[in-house]
Amino acid sequence: MSLAIPNGLDNTVERPGERAPLVLGETTYHDITEAVCKVAERPPSKGWIGGFLVAFALLQMLGLLIVYLIYTGVGVWGNRAPIFWGWPIVNFVFWVGIGHAGTLISAILFLFRQEWRTSINRAAEAMTIFAVACAGTFPGIHVGRAWLAFWLAPYPSLNLWMWPQFRSPLLWDVFAVSTYGTVSLLFWYMGMVPDLATFRDRSKNKYRRMAYGILCLGWSGSSRHWMRYEKAYAILAALAAPLVLSVHTIVSFDFAVSQVPGWHTTIFPPYFVAGAIFSGFAMVLTLMVPARKMLNLEKLITIRHLENMCKIILATGSIVGLAYGTEFFIAWYGQVPAEQFAFLNRAFGPYAWAYWTMVSCNVISPQIFWFKKARTTPWIIVVVSIFVNIGMWFERFVIVISSLSRDYLPSAWAYFTPTWVDWGMLIGSFGLFFTLFLLFCRTLPVINMAEVKATLAKQEHMAHLHGHGEEAAEGH
Amino acid sequence: MSETKIETTVHGMMAEFTTVDSLLSACRRIRDAGYTKTDAYTPFPVHGIDKALGIKPTALPWICLIAGATGTCIALVMQIWMNSIDYKYIISGKPYISLPAFIPVAFELTILLASFGAFFGMWALNGLPKFSNPMFTDPRFDRATDDRFFLYVDASDERYDPSGVRNLLADTGSDYINEVVEDDSPKEVPKPVFLIWGLAVAASLVPLICILTMRVTNSSKPRFHVFFDMDFSPSKDAQQVTSLFADNRAMRSDVPGTVARGQMEESLDMLTGIDVEALTMSDPPRVQRLVRAYMLADDEAKAEEKEAVEAAEAAPASVMDTTPWVEKNPLTVDAELLAQGRQQFEIYCSVCHGMDGYGNGLVARRAQSINAPTWVPPASMHQETLYADKYPDGKLFSTISNGIRKMPGYAGQIKLKDRWAIVAYVRALQKSQNASMDLVPESEKAAVEAAVADVKAELKRQAEEAEKAAAARKQTQS
Repeated sequence: MSLAIPNGLDNTVERPGERAPLVLGETTYHDITEAVCKVAERPPSKGWIGGFLVAFALLQMLGLLIVYLIYTGVGVWGNRAPIFWGWPIVNFVFWVGIGHAGTLISAILFLFRQEWRTSINRAAEAMTIFAVACAGTFPGIHVGRAWLAFWLAPYPSLNLWMWPQFRSPLLWDVFAVSTYGTVSLLFWYMGMVPDLATFRDRSKNKYRRMAYGILCLGWSGSSRHWMRYEKAYAILAALAAPLVLSVHTIVSFDFAVSQVPGWHTTIFPPYFVAGAIFSGFAMVLTLMVPARKMLNLEKLITIRHLENMCKIILATGSIVGLAYGTEFFIAWYGQVPAEQFAFLNRAFGPYAWAYWTMVSCNVISPQIFWFKKARTTPWIIVVVSIFVNIGMWFERFVIVISSLSRDYLPSAWAYFTPTWVDWGMLIGSFGLFFTLFLLFCRTLPVINMAEVKATLAKQEHMAHLHGHGEEAAEGH
Repeated sequence: MSETKIETTVHGMMAEFTTVDSLLSACRRIRDAGYTKTDAYTPFPVHGIDKALGIKPTALPWICLIAGATGTCIALVMQIWMNSIDYKYIISGKPYISLPAFIPVAFELTILLASFGAFFGMWALNGLPKFSNPMFTDPRFDRATDDRFFLYVDASDERYDPSGVRNLLADTGSDYINEVVEDDSPKEVPKPVFLIWGLAVAASLVPLICILTMRVTNSSKPRFHVFFDMDFSPSKDAQQVTSLFADNRAMRSDVPGTVARGQMEESLDMLTGIDVEALTMSDPPRVQRLVRAYMLADDEAKAEEKEAVEAAEAAPASVMDTTPWVEKNPLTVDAELLAQGRQQFEIYCSVCHGMDGYGNGLVARRAQSINAPTWVPPASMHQETLYADKYPDGKLFSTISNGIRKMPGYAGQIKLKDRWAIVAYVRALQKSQNASMDLVPESEKAAVEAAVADVKAELKRQAEEAEKAAAARKQTQS
C-alpha cells in the first residue's frame, strides 16, 4: 500500500491497486508553470543556438533546391522511366507517417483516458504539424509545374473549364492531407490557448504580453469557458481519431488502387496506419529523450512516459513485421505470377540491401524492448528509435522504388539512382522540421501545463483518498 | 467607498483560493446562498465545478453535428455536380454517380466542417476573442493561469450586496477578497504596433493592386513570363543549326537500312505506272533512276526523271510512247473500287473534265465563257485516243500523277491507290457512253432497265413541264 518513491524518480514499478504517479517529486502547480515557462523565458542556450543555426542552414538549402527545381524542371531528381515517383513520394509518405503519432497521442489516447499522454501531447502535436508541413512540400513540388498546384482545388476555373477527377486516390489524398493538417493545427492551437494565457500573464515585456494576449484570444480561465472548451476538445479528439486512421489509409490508396505488382494489395491501409504510428512514436522518442534532458523536464516527462511509448513501438513494430510476412503469404496464396515476382524481387532482387535494412531496423531492433532494462534506459531508446526512423524511411523506399523499377514490362526495367538534389531535399526537409521544432521550443509552451496540473490535482486527490496525502492535505 | 463608486464601475466581487477543494466548497456555499451570476477562474478545468456553480450543459455538440452534416452534403453535392453532371468523367466504366468513390472526400469534409464547428463554435459561445476583461485589472489575477483559483460574483446578481458577498466569501476561507472594477487602461493600440500593422496591411495590398491594374488596363508589350509553361517550343525549322548532333544539322536523313512509313509498300510498277520488267530490257539506267526516285525517296533522281521526260516530250518519238506502260490496273476492279474512284474523280477531276468526263467542267465552261487566253481546254475522256487500247492504264495513271500540258500532277494530292481507282473509274466512264444491254450481266439487267425507265420517265416529265410552261408563257404574252 505504500506509495514510497525512492528519490522520486522510479515510477515504472507497477503496484496493484494504485496508479503510478505521472508527475514526480514534491511538485506544486507553480513548479509546473515555472518548469515549462522557463524553457521559453530564459535566454537561449548554446546548444539551442547551434542546433538552430544548423537546422536553419539546412532549411535555406531546401529553399534554394526548390527554386533550382522549379527553375530547371523535375529532371534534376533521379526520377526516370519507369520510376517516376522516386524520392519525393518516399519522403512524402515518410513525413506524413511521422505526423500520425502526434494525433494518436493527443486524440486516441485522450479518448482512452491514458493520462500519461498529458506531458507529451503538446510536443507530439507540434511534431505532427511540422511533419505535415514537410510532407506537404514534396507532392507540391512533385507535380512538375508547381506554380499550377492550385489546379488540384475544385474551383470554377476560367482557363480550364473542367473539374478535378474525384474518383482518383491522388485527389482524395489532397483532401485527406489538407484536412489532416488543418484539423491538427486547430487541435494544437486550441489546446495551447490556456497555456498561452499563462505565458501572457507571466510576461514582463509590454509587447510580449500583447502578442501572447492576442494569441490566447483573451482567455481568462472562466469555468464556463473551461466547460465548453473541454467539450470542444473531446469533440475534436473524437473527430481526429477516425481522421488520423483515414489519412494514412488514403495515402495507402495512392498505391493500393493502382495495379502495380506489390502495391495492389488490400493489406495496405492497416499496414500503412500501423507503420505510421510506429514511425511517429519513434520520432517522438528521438526528440523527447534529448529534449527532456536539455530542457530540464525530467519530472514531467518521466521514465514511465518513455517506457509506455517503447511498448507502443514494440507492439506496432511487431504488427509491421506481421504485415511483411502476410504480404509474402498472400503473394504465394494468390498465385499471381507478377505479385510473386514483385515480392521475391523485393527480398532477393537488386534492392535486397534496402529490404533487409528495413527488416532489421523495423522488425528486429524493437524486439529489445521486451526487456524492461532497455525500455527504461534513455540511450538505448534513442538508438532504437533512430533505427526505426531509418527503417521506416526504407520501408517507403522499398515499396515505391522496388515495385516501380520492375513491373510488367521487363524491357523498361531500370535501377533507381538518386541525384544530389534528392539527397539535398531529404536532408533539407529535416532542416525544415527541426527549425520549426526549435522555434516552437523557444516561443510556445512545450508541455500542456493545464492538463498536467489537472493530472497532478487528480493524483493528489487519489493519494488523499488512499490516506497518503499528508502533503497535499497541508494545503488546506 | 461611495466616492470610488462614482469614479469607476464596480463589476462584482472576487475571492482567491489556493486549492481546488476550498474553491469547490466556496462555490457550493455561494450557489446554496442563491447566487446565480457567478463564475470561477481556474488554471485548469476543475471537475465537478459545473455542478457546484450550477452551469448548464452547452449546445456545442449540436453545432458540431450540424456543421458535420453540412460538410457531408457539400462534399456529395460538389462531387456529383462536378463529375457527374457539369463535367462528366467516365472512369473504368463506372456509373457517373458512383458513391463509393465519393466516400473519402465526403468523409474528410465532414470531419473538416465538424471540426470548424467545434472550434469556432466554442470560441463564439465563449464570447472570445475578447481582449479587455475587468478581471484582468486585479494584480493578483495573473495567477489564475498559474496556481490560484478565483471565485467571482457579478454585481448584476439580484442578491448582490457588497458587504454581504464580502462576508460570505470571507467565511469560505479566502484570504484575498477584492472588488472587480472597470478596466480604465488606455484603449489605443501602442504607436509602434499601430505603425507596423498599418505598414504590413498597406504592403500586402500592393500585389493585389498591381494584379487588378493589369487586369483592367491594356498593354502593347508582350506577356510577362514568370514561368515559360512551354510557350516557347525548342523545336527546329528546316535548315537550322542544332547542338544536339555532331554535324550541327537540325534536319536528319533516314537511318541507313530503315524504311520510313509509307515507303516500300507498293511495287515500282504501281508507283510509276510503268512495266518495269519490260523497261529493264530497253532502258536500264532509267530503271535505276526510278528506283532511286520512288523507292529511296531521292529528290534529285525525281528531278532528273522529270527533266528527262519533259525533254523527250517534244521529240518526235516521245518517251511517253516508247515507255512500256502497265496495261492493266494492278488493283482488283470491283464495285467498291469504282465507287472510290468516282468519289475521287468528282472531287479532283470533274471541276475541269466534267462529271461525265466530256471536258465540260465548271472551270472549263467559265474559262471558255470569258475566253481566257492561256486556257488549254481539258481533254474529253471519250476520245478514242484515250481508250485503253491506245492509252494504257499505266499511262493514264502517269498522266494523273505527273500532269500533262497545263494540267499539274496530282501525286501530291491524291493517294496512290485513289489514283489507280480514278483510272478504273475513267475506264468505266468511257465504256458507259456507248455500251449495249448485252454487256450488262443477267442478274443486274432488271435493275438497269428499271433505272433506264426511271430516267426516261423523268426526262419525259421534264419535257412536258417545259412544254406546259412554254404554252403558258405564250398565252400570257398574247
